[in-house]
Amino acid sequence: MRWTAARVGFLIGFGAAVGQALFKIIPPPAYGVCIACHVRDLVNWIIFKISPNFYGKFVGAPVSAKFPLLTIIGVMIGAFLAANINKEFQFKTMRVWWQNPLIEFFWGMFVAIGALMMGGCPIRTILKAAYLDITAMFGLVSIFIGVVLGCIVIKRLVKLT
Amino acid sequence: MPVIYSLFLGFLLGYLGQRARLCFIGGMRDYVLVRDTYLIKGLFGFFFGALLGFILFNIISIASLKTFPWFINGAGVFLKKWKTMGILANPSFILPVPGDPITWSPNVFYHLLLAFIGGTIVGFVSVLAGGCPFRQHVMAAEGSYSALSYIIGFATGAVVFHKLLVPIIKTLLR
Repeated sequence: MRWTAARVGFLIGFGAAVGQALFKIIPPPAYGVCIACHVRDLVNWIIFKISPNFYGKFVGAPVSAKFPLLTIIGVMIGAFLAANINKEFQFKTMRVWWQNPLIEFFWGMFVAIGALMMGGCPIRTILKAAYLDITAMFGLVSIFIGVVLGCIVIKRLVKLT
Repeated sequence: MPVIYSLFLGFLLGYLGQRARLCFIGGMRDYVLVRDTYLIKGLFGFFFGALLGFILFNIISIASLKTFPWFINGAGVFLKKWKTMGILANPSFILPVPGDPITWSPNVFYHLLLAFIGGTIVGFVSVLAGGCPFRQHVMAAEGSYSALSYIIGFATGAVVFHKLLVPIIKTLLR
């Protein structure tokens, strides 16, 4: 069956709810899929094992205190296998000047800081909005405002070059 | 047990997300620029799938979903704990699900302000960088150098946030 974006989204959303209900990914609630939070848990767990005095105590979700959740490793392995099976793997860089590897480092840093201020990455904000949390719906509206501003800036940048 | 399931769900998400080009902020960007609705249907599919799952497991009353409609049941758990300490939060149905155990406080305006600033930053910078964080991880597995440097910056940003920014935020908004 052909995997369009709507079917994939539906399956993964249901899988995140299954994860909280049957597999005990519970404190904090609504934590099944998140990119920013799970990367933070993995990095902080490694730092806490190497030198426990860097933060003072373990900083992260209580469900990741003994062993961190390995979502991001699964994502990269799955995408790597999918690209190799269908022969879409190729070393490349982006074509526009504001997406070269040196500037992308800083874009990554700003997105991580903004996402942890908001309480999750965009995927987890949608999951919290499905959990009926009003602050998360407010966060979705502000993501949309940010996207509109970013599109205005991109249109100006493309006209300059 | 949660570790094995999260590895499996991440594998499914990475494989299918690479085949279907799934990206959540890309959906909003495509709709605003060219009115294309292919990717935004993925966003709505995720929302309805999660909502259906939560309602289904709440009806057959699994214990870990007893805080399900968060603005009715969930926030009350924290209000009871604070009432014994004499702190009151008003209005109480706007308290967020705790994402970060450090920046949790009974002041509701503080959470709305952080959500607004954080959300605007995420939307603006993600459109400039070319996708949401999930799409950049998938593109790094496809072989893109820019996305690889994005991932390194992402992990660095998480460490910088917890080491430097959290004390600043706690003293500015106390």
